[in-house]
Amino acid sequence: MGSLAVRSAVLLLLLLALPLALGEYWAFQLGLFFLYAIAALGVALCWGQAGFLPLGQALFVGLAAYLSGAALIQWGEAWWVFLLLPFAAIAAGALAFLLGLIIFRGRSESGPYFAIITLAIALLAFQVANSWNAVTGGYNGMKAIPGLPGLEGFSDVYYLAAVALACAVALCGWLVQAPLGTLWRAIALNERRVAYFGYDTAMLKAIAFGLSGVLAGIAGALYAPQQGLVTPELVGFALSADLVIWVAVGGRKRVLGPVLGAVLVGILSAELRERTYYWDLIVAAVFVFVVLYAPGGIGALLAPLERLLPGRRKALEPLRAPASKAPRSAVTLAIDGVSAAAGEVRILDRLSLAVARPGIYCLIGPNGAGKTSTFNMLTGELRAQAGEVRLDGDILSKPTPYRLARRGVGRKFQIPSVFGELSIDENLRIAVWSARTSLLDWLRPATRRWDTPVMAALRGRYPFLDDGGRLASALSHGERQVLELSMALITEPRLLLLDEPCAGLSSEETAQVREVIRWARDTLGLSVVIIEHDMALVKQLAEHVFVLHQGRLLAEGDVAAIRSDPRVHEVYVGAAE
Amino acid sequence: MDPLLVTQALNVLYEVVTLAVIVLGLAIVFGLLGVMNLAHGEFIALGAYVAYVCQSHGLPYLAAVPAAIAACALLALPVERFLIRPLYDRPFDTLLATWGLSLFMRKAIEIGFGGGYKSLKIPVSDSVLVLGTPFPAYRLLLMALCAALIAALLLWYRRSVAGARVKAMVGNRELAQAVGIRTDRLARDTFVVGLCFAGLAGVMVAPLVSVQPYMGLDYVLRSFFVLVVGGLGSPLGLLSGAAAIGGVESAMSALVDRTAGYSTVLLIAIFFLWRRPHGIFGRS
Repeated sequence: MGSLAVRSAVLLLLLLALPLALGEYWAFQLGLFFLYAIAALGVALCWGQAGFLPLGQALFVGLAAYLSGAALIQWGEAWWVFLLLPFAAIAAGALAFLLGLIIFRGRSESGPYFAIITLAIALLAFQVANSWNAVTGGYNGMKAIPGLPGLEGFSDVYYLAAVALACAVALCGWLVQAPLGTLWRAIALNERRVAYFGYDTAMLKAIAFGLSGVLAGIAGALYAPQQGLVTPELVGFALSADLVIWVAVGGRKRVLGPVLGAVLVGILSAELRERTYYWDLIVAAVFVFVVLYAPGGIGALLAPLERLLPGRRKALEPLRAPASKAPRSAVTLAIDGVSAAAGEVRILDRLSLAVARPGIYCLIGPNGAGKTSTFNMLTGELRAQAGEVRLDGDILSKPTPYRLARRGVGRKFQIPSVFGELSIDENLRIAVWSARTSLLDWLRPATRRWDTPVMAALRGRYPFLDDGGRLASALSHGERQVLELSMALITEPRLLLLDEPCAGLSSEETAQVREVIRWARDTLGLSVVIIEHDMALVKQLAEHVFVLHQGRLLAEGDVAAIRSDPRVHEVYVGAAE
Repeated sequence: MDPLLVTQALNVLYEVVTLAVIVLGLAIVFGLLGVMNLAHGEFIALGAYVAYVCQSHGLPYLAAVPAAIAACALLALPVERFLIRPLYDRPFDTLLATWGLSLFMRKAIEIGFGGGYKSLKIPVSDSVLVLGTPFPAYRLLLMALCAALIAALLLWYRRSVAGARVKAMVGNRELAQAVGIRTDRLARDTFVVGLCFAGLAGVMVAPLVSVQPYMGLDYVLRSFFVLVVGGLGSPLGLLSGAAAIGGVESAMSALVDRTAGYSTVLLIAIFFLWRRPHGIFGRS
């Protein structure tokens, strides 16, 4: 945190000294592009952190500008008009948050379609601004907006813009380092996995979009008095497009990237566009180059400088995390006559099985028997067409990974899915925070220091987990399997679904995982359902075995009973003649 | 029949058919290759400007057809090689890179021809009587040409060996490679053909629209909306999407005004993108 404060203070001082050196014209130009930089910070929050691209951000700039312009025209003389401007920004943020929540709840991916939706909404807003003469002034715009009371000349407004920009940079720097930033980056990497840890990812993305709306709103609210004029152009395509270009060229992953982009590219454009025809061609070419080969943008060049700054990480004292909000009692699960199909293919065929008390259950069966599909059906990724599932006696209707995780159901995937571009520490923390955090905790840096006995015990068993700064992508396959298993256990689930947890592990590693699963069963009192092909492992671990065949339960019982069951033999090695 | 009604009906039909031909190129590139080409509109603009150049040099209008196809193909080849091919597994970046390309092309056109409107003479200026109502002959001719072009493309796609190869590539790229189809080349050719269709559409509509550097933006969004509403990869989807978007827009424009028409289209598009991204007939 120290370095952040130092950085912001230095930046602020520099900014405040600038107009003395440069004069009125530059104070005006720089002030304008500082405002654009604030809006660009919001785009970078969505795109560089949470991984979705808003392509119509001008909508929120424009909305706040019209609101602020109307307020100034009405009450421009009164000092308390300053108190109204924040509401313009908050209104823009609220609209962004609501739009985000509605869109993200409707569809969980955040690919190109989200970008096109936001662009279409911005174009719609342009139509409204352009034709609603009575309110917006139509094509000619809202004219003769008075300046802010008490601020004379361009340099006063410049100072206001500079302070607003410094605050926005500090806010974004805070957010990026807060737990919320880690969760956003995790969503950008693998949203589905984050949902399986019990996070409402649509809500998290909507928060990012809402905050970007607030930042765009701050820019818009100050734009109106700075320019004295708001036209529909501000809402339209051009500014939305420029914001994305500035963020891309400046670097979307770094806090200062969008500021660099907006101020450097923006000001150069404003100056050079008049003088050389080819400037816009160069910008377009640079943009394409950045997309193809340099996703870090100009901001990536700052990385060596940052290392020179003092005050980097001290070892943090761990804090005991609060207890999980998920229920703690032993789980009961009953699958009753469930059928599911994908197209013509019947995957589950009146499957019934029950997990009545804590223990280690193995789910076996030949390929295509419906083992992974059973997990997918439980977590709602495969729709059940008939039958019902009861968790703790309540019927599960429309389960989602998020809701199940909240009720204490964890899952580990067949292909280890950890967050590769996050550090081991961050991966573990995402698990610790699961079902323990509220919105306030996501903003507090102290949440990063949370620790639990389970986490400490796992660290003791697996020393590589202590090397917290390493990126998860640098781990071996076996280590990744262990990391994901550890993450699943740290959430302290009541029911844990493991899909081939030992696939690709050496026999030594397999033995270790076996021990951890037994240990977890004993200390957490949980039920584990393991899909496993390795019969030796099943023999060692299973207290109860379910054999699936063609989507149905073929047999169940302890290992000895299954081994002597002729139907099981028939499925695995063919009928004895 | 009521002449006003006939004219209105013909106008709606005209809007729908020309919209379908505008979309055709993107339907190939996005529908078959999955490339979200945001520079689609600029290739339409390129076709229209080629037509303008041909006409202002006193060449017959038909000369613009091979010229536009050649121009689009020449540009599409390097674009495919350096922009599209490296990004096949990064759809998000494809969107951004083609968007950058569209900014580039738009600006280049503006530098080359100036920012103002260009108007082209209509090649066939007579009007003919349809059910007793006069209607511009060029529009009728255009409708017939568009319908013929779409039908020919469909027939080729369904019946030809090359069409079968494309289908194989779309269905499973690795498997198509394994049975000896050179998917790299096939994807390149498909992309180039798609952009040539865009240029051709530009030549066809140029005399009836205002030709200016920013015309492409409108076309690409509309094309994209048609494909989302209609659903990808089926000719029925293309036509129903064009009917929905073009029909609603021209009907609303006639009943209220142009703003209402365009706004309704945007609302429909937002709804489909959000709730039914696989189109009217698609399963969600």
